[in-house]
Amino acid sequence: MTLLFILWIITAFISIFSGTYSIGPLEAISNLDELSRTIFFQIRIPRVLMATIAGGTLALAGAALQALFRNSLASPFTLGISGGASLGALLAIRSGLAVGVLGFSMVSISAFVFSILTMLFVYTISKVGGVVATGRLLLAGVVANFLYASIVMFIQFFSTFTESLQTMRWIMGSLDVVGFDTVWKTLIFVIPGCAILLSLTKDMNLFGLGDDVASSLGVNVRRMEKKIYFATSLAAGAVISVTGPIGFVGLIIPHILRMLLGVDNRIILPSSFLLGATFLTAADTLSRTIISPVEIPVGIITASIGGVFFLWLLIRTKKEIII
Amino acid sequence: MEAIINCTDIGFSYNGTSVLNGINLSIQPGNMLGILGANGAGKSTLLKILCGVLKPKSGKALFNDQELSKMDRREIAKGIAYIPQDPMFAFPFTVREVVLMGRAPYIGRFEFEREEDNEIAKNALKTVGISHLKDRLINEVSSGERQLASIARGLVQEPGIMILDEPATYLDVKHRTEVMNILRHLKENKGISIIAATHDIFSSLFYFDDIMILKDGNILAEGRTDQIINSEILSLAYGIEVVVKKENGRVFVFPNQ
Repeated sequence: MTLLFILWIITAFISIFSGTYSIGPLEAISNLDELSRTIFFQIRIPRVLMATIAGGTLALAGAALQALFRNSLASPFTLGISGGASLGALLAIRSGLAVGVLGFSMVSISAFVFSILTMLFVYTISKVGGVVATGRLLLAGVVANFLYASIVMFIQFFSTFTESLQTMRWIMGSLDVVGFDTVWKTLIFVIPGCAILLSLTKDMNLFGLGDDVASSLGVNVRRMEKKIYFATSLAAGAVISVTGPIGFVGLIIPHILRMLLGVDNRIILPSSFLLGATFLTAADTLSRTIISPVEIPVGIITASIGGVFFLWLLIRTKKEIII
Repeated sequence: MEAIINCTDIGFSYNGTSVLNGINLSIQPGNMLGILGANGAGKSTLLKILCGVLKPKSGKALFNDQELSKMDRREIAKGIAYIPQDPMFAFPFTVREVVLMGRAPYIGRFEFEREEDNEIAKNALKTVGISHLKDRLINEVSSGERQLASIARGLVQEPGIMILDEPATYLDVKHRTEVMNILRHLKENKGISIIAATHDIFSSLFYFDDIMILKDGNILAEGRTDQIINSEILSLAYGIEVVVKKENGRVFVFPNQ
């Protein structure tokens, strides 16, 4: 885990100092002109922080969902939670609700409500006789995603060209944030969400032995399930309401870690945060520099890497997929 | 001696359908009780009530004179180990990790196992005879070995009583005997009481001190094993004619068809 932390530090460091407008490490600590200073402190650093928060949260949420669904194909993206959160955020933005209530952004709250509803829907649909069936799980996720996509398209249809382009960009997933304001507003939701999930890792392990055994070993199973719903929706919803649905981070990262470190959730969850943060920071750096000065939405990069990975996973686990 | 588990007038129903009626049960420390009965007789439900996983709809279940439904779950877990019929392993934990999970009630929310816990797990693996499998993945060992790992997991809870749902049903005759011998060993050498549901009438004769037979959620018969296992009671319990024959000090049980 220390190794993962160091990896993140290095990636973040490289990321801060790379981009269309070049700022070297030495320049940053010495004298910067006005423009460079603005770029460095108002754009670069917040952006790397946002990538860290988003990547870490999505990966952590993915690992938690996989424990909850007892299925390694669960993630905010595959379950349609990302889609739900996106729609919630979009509705709030379009209906002019983009105002703060008691310091909380309505956009995040709306994203939270939609993600928790999606999760309940998918969980109910996919559970057969107390056990989550993989096929039903993925189908329910697909149905949710299609439903939300059609509503988004409906909204798009009645939008002006500019609005429509904005939405399109947002759906592709981007870490284009300016200033620290957004970062703080996201953290208000992300910190309690992630803290709750990290406090449940031991119970998640026991939950992997079945409801009855977990219960006989001291876990209040129903309460644990509710906490996971709540916390993942809170954290992932807040992130997605800012960045748009960045796909597959929540699926790939926990998977890679399980292959390397085993399946103990006490290790997998915190490690997922670190590796997720590193992965998204790296992907974002790539998206800013690959065809500079054009910035490709980071969602395109993660989804293309993730898509291939997901396919490989499906092929590899062929025997286990039962509808 | 004080009973370790004492139930009076237990009743339970699923969605309005009655599953158990007026069950009284008590077990002394260091005793082995077998629960027999046809499929759907209510055995599994009764076991889940006895280990505090289900709350009875009526009546009282006491563990060391404390009412189970009012006890803290972790406290129950330190006294009662539950091993289900077909344990689930959602992720490929190692055998050792599975066994160590039995230490959960003794470990804080953010803690890892201490040296002491590792030692206890090591001894449990040795007791059930699967030390050599400790680093194997639980989903890659045989079903008999999985069952032994589950028993070891129960053992590290350091319970006063172990409750098992058909511990040997899916096993071949060698592993079945092995599991039952280990249970007897735990009873005799560690003073752990055992309650197990079973379909194996034949091995029930050798291992259990007492037998309770359930039929449609009611107690059909209970008492010392040699008094309960007879043609009349078994025929009633399973709804087909069962013959129990004693010959040269050996007992044979078979359906008369």
